[in-house]
Amino acid sequence: MTVPRTDSVDLTTPAASADPFAVFRALRESDPVHWSKAHRAWLITRYDDVSAAFQNKAFSNDRVRPVLERKRQAGAESAATGVLGLMTGWMVVNDPPVHTRLRKLAAGAFKGQRIAAMDAMITGIVDAHLDAFVRGSGPQDLISEVAYPLPATVIATMLGAPPEDRDRFREWSDELALVAFGTGGAARADRHERALRGLREMESYFHTLIEKRRTEPGEDMLSALMAEEGDDRLTDDELVGMCALLLFAGHETTTNSIANAVLALLRHPDQLDRLRRDPALIGPAVEELLRFDGPIKVLNRWVVAETEVRGRTIRPGERVHLVLASANRDPEKFAGPDTLDLGRSPNPHVAFGKGIHACIGAQLARMETRIAVARIVERLPGLALAEEPAWKDVLASRSMEKLVVTHT
Amino acid sequence: MRISVDPEVCEAHGQCSIVDMDLFPLDDDGYSAVGPDREVPEGEEDAAKLGVDACPVRALRILS
Ligand code: HEM
Ligand code: SF4
Repeated sequence: MTVPRTDSVDLTTPAASADPFAVFRALRESDPVHWSKAHRAWLITRYDDVSAAFQNKAFSNDRVRPVLERKRQAGAESAATGVLGLMTGWMVVNDPPVHTRLRKLAAGAFKGQRIAAMDAMITGIVDAHLDAFVRGSGPQDLISEVAYPLPATVIATMLGAPPEDRDRFREWSDELALVAFGTGGAARADRHERALRGLREMESYFHTLIEKRRTEPGEDMLSALMAEEGDDRLTDDELVGMCALLLFAGHETTTNSIANAVLALLRHPDQLDRLRRDPALIGPAVEELLRFDGPIKVLNRWVVAETEVRGRTIRPGERVHLVLASANRDPEKFAGPDTLDLGRSPNPHVAFGKGIHACIGAQLARMETRIAVARIVERLPGLALAEEPAWKDVLASRSMEKLVVTHT
Repeated sequence: MRISVDPEVCEAHGQCSIVDMDLFPLDDDGYSAVGPDREVPEGEEDAAKLGVDACPVRALRILS
C-alpha cells in the first residue's frame, strides 16, 4: 500500500483499526509527517521524529485548559466544567513548571523499591482472578474476567481502599474515559450525564479516603503521595486529581497491555513455546510485547510555536499525533520490526513515551503485565483463541472488544 | 556503590529516573545527568540496581 501525499489517512476506520501497521508502514515510507484531514492533525510516524518530538518545546501537553476556558466562556458552571476542572490539574495535561512540581511530588510514591514491594499483592490479585477462569470451561473472555478487573483492583488496593469498594473503581475508570474521549451514538448525552454524576461521587469518595489517611497514615501509595517533599505538598484537591489520574492512566492501558500481549503470543506459537520453556525470559518478553502491539497507538500534542519536522512547517494552533505504535515498528530503529522476538535486546521502544512525561507508572505496569502474562501462560495450558477478536475503532488506544479463549 | 552513564549511549528514555529521581537525575532535555562517576548513598543499592536495569539501551553501569 502506498499513500500519495494528497491522500488523507483516517486511523479510525474499521480496516485501519484491525491492521494499523499496514497504514503506518505506508506513512513511514511515503509521508512520514502527514497532514490528516480526518484527524485535523499531523501524523508523525518515524521513530526518530517521534523521539525528537518528545523533546520539542514547540509541542505542548496543555490541552484541557483551552477546552475548559471555551466552555466557561460559553456558559455557566456545570457538572462538565467541574470534571474538566479536575482533569486540568493532571500533570499529563500540563507543561513545566506546573508539570515539574506535580511530577516531583508524585515521584516518591512511585519509587522502584515501593513498586517492587507490591509483587506479592499483585500476584495474589492475578491468581484470584485466574482461579475462577481456570474453573470455567468452554470459551471465556480473558479481558472481562482477568485483564479488565485486575488493574483497577491493583490501583484501589495500592491507594488503600477497602476491598468492598473496588468495583466502584472500575465504574469510575470507565466514566473518566467517557468524559475524556467522548463516545458516539444515541446513548451519548444520557451516558455522559450519568458519568458526570458518578465522577462527583468519586471526588467525594477520594476526599473521604484522604481524610482517613490523614488521621491514620499507612503503607499505601496515597499516604506516600500525601507526604511532604521539601517544603511543598499536594493540596487535597490535587490529591483527588492525582487519584483520578492514576485510575485513568493506569487502568485501560494495563488491561490492553495484558490482552494484546496474550493475543500476540497466541499468534506466535513458537514464541509462546519459548516463554513456556524459559519463564525467566518474561522481562524482555514483556518489553517486546509492548513494542510489538502496545496499548497506546497515538499521543496528542498541541503546537504552541512554529517548528519544522522533516521539512514540513508545523504552526501554532495545530495538533500533532505522535504515533507510538508506528515508531515501535520502524525498520530504521528495529531490525525485523514486524517479527516478534521475545529476546530482543536492546529494546528502546516508546510504548511508555519519553521525555518529561514518560509514564511514571511504567515500573508498576511492567510488573502487572509480567505477572499476569507469566501466570496466564503457566496456569492455562492449551490456551487457544476461540474467535477472531474485533478491534475498537479508536484513535488513542489499541484495544480489543473481547479476547475469547479456551483452555484445557 | 558507584554508577555511571555513557552519554554516547543514553537516548533520554527517562526510565532510570522513574525508578528514583534522586539517584538518576535528568538534565533539562531528559538525558541522564548521572555523570561518569556518581556515589550511591548507603542503603540505596537495590534502587540503584533497579534503575540501571530499567535503561532500555544499557547506558548505565554499576562501576563498583
Ligand atoms: C502498559 C501500561 C501503560 C502504558 C503503555 C502507559 C503509557 C504511558 C505513556 C505513553 C505516557 C506519556 C503520556 C504523554 O507523554 O502525553 C504515560 C503517562 C503517564 N502514565 Fe502511564 N502507561 C501505562 C500504565 C500506567 C500505570 C499503571 C500508571 C499508574 C498507576 C500510569 C500513570 C501514568 C501517569 C500519571 C502519567 C503522566 C506522567 C506525566 O505527565 O509526567 N500509567 N503513560
Ligand atoms: S534510561 Fe537510559 S537512556 Fe534513558 S535517560 Fe536513563 S540512562 Fe538515558
